[in-house]
Amino acid sequence: MKIVIAEGKTKADFLIGSLLKKKHTLMVINEDRAFCNYLAQTHKIPIFHGDSSKLYTLEDAKIEGYDILIALSAYDSDNLAICQAAKRLFHIKKTIAIVSNPKNVDVFKTLGVNTAVSATYLLTQIIEQASTVDILLHTVSIEHNKLMLTELLMDEHCPYEYHQLQEIPLPDRTLISCVLRGNDMLSPQKELLLLPNDKLIFLSPPSAQDSIISIMTGGKPK
Amino acid sequence: MFGRKNRSILIAGCGRLGGSIAGALSEQGYKVTVIDNDEESFRKLPPAFSGFQIVGDATDLDVLVKAGIKDTDILMATANRDNVNLMIAQIGSVIYEVKQVYLRLYDMEKQKLVEGLNIHPIFPAKLSIEEFERLSAIDIKEDVL
Repeated sequence: MKIVIAEGKTKADFLIGSLLKKKHTLMVINEDRAFCNYLAQTHKIPIFHGDSSKLYTLEDAKIEGYDILIALSAYDSDNLAICQAAKRLFHIKKTIAIVSNPKNVDVFKTLGVNTAVSATYLLTQIIEQASTVDILLHTVSIEHNKLMLTELLMDEHCPYEYHQLQEIPLPDRTLISCVLRGNDMLSPQKELLLLPNDKLIFLSPPSAQDSIISIMTGGKPK
Repeated sequence: MFGRKNRSILIAGCGRLGGSIAGALSEQGYKVTVIDNDEESFRKLPPAFSGFQIVGDATDLDVLVKAGIKDTDILMATANRDNVNLMIAQIGSVIYEVKQVYLRLYDMEKQKLVEGLNIHPIFPAKLSIEEFERLSAIDIKEDVL
């Protein structure tokens, strides 16, 4: 995909590295000349020096025709202006912004930015999810919260220790994608005998997560 | 004249422009609230100012709500940065449906970002050019602007 990365420092540098590894076509626009020079020495990609929230910068950088724009400025208002300009005036279909104020996640969506990401917002969600129960090791939402990955530990309260995997009554549209045992990753065969301290990775809609936890802690499906 | 007393205006950014309008309208009987992230800015308000002063970031929803954005008749975004004003104006117009929204824009091009919305931009550069035309009697073609 063709991606524009506007502003940002450490985050931009890291993102450029990881997107290049995945073979995306990148263009960078950044207000900081020294940072542009650094990027020019580090990566072989087009780099445009200028204030990304100025319309003439976006025009001169020729961002039209790119698929995605990611705005990484430390100022939320700059990121909003950059994304709105990219979308309305340069017809970039998908715009993504980092926001410092978690309340702006919803504001940005209302004002037309496709995705707004806030570290604090994510952290709050993770804490809320993690505080649900001790056996919950990791949980990740993917595809805009349509899917959840849930990693659960088999502890002594789990009714399915020494049972076969197929005995776990899974909620609708839920599957066990793999079982981790020590350093081994086991494929989820029906007959697999579950042992203490196994870690099970579930793939489900978010609404099924409570049921999964409930089942695995010996409760009834919700 | 009588109706004015009940009208309320929320001014985001207490610089020379925001402060002057706040002071003048307060004296005329408007219910005025001013937001600025620097308390020192409120020193620009005249001694007779009888409105509310709120210290905070005017792009933050909670600050705007505390300042009464839900009930204000007029919102004026007069912060120093264009992008901040654009954001405040859009929050006011789109999210809180404020009827009259004005914003100052130094960069005239950026009005394209609020086109189609019920938001009125004010351009200091354009006003200065018009004043220059008036004083000097020299015509500057519109398309330069």
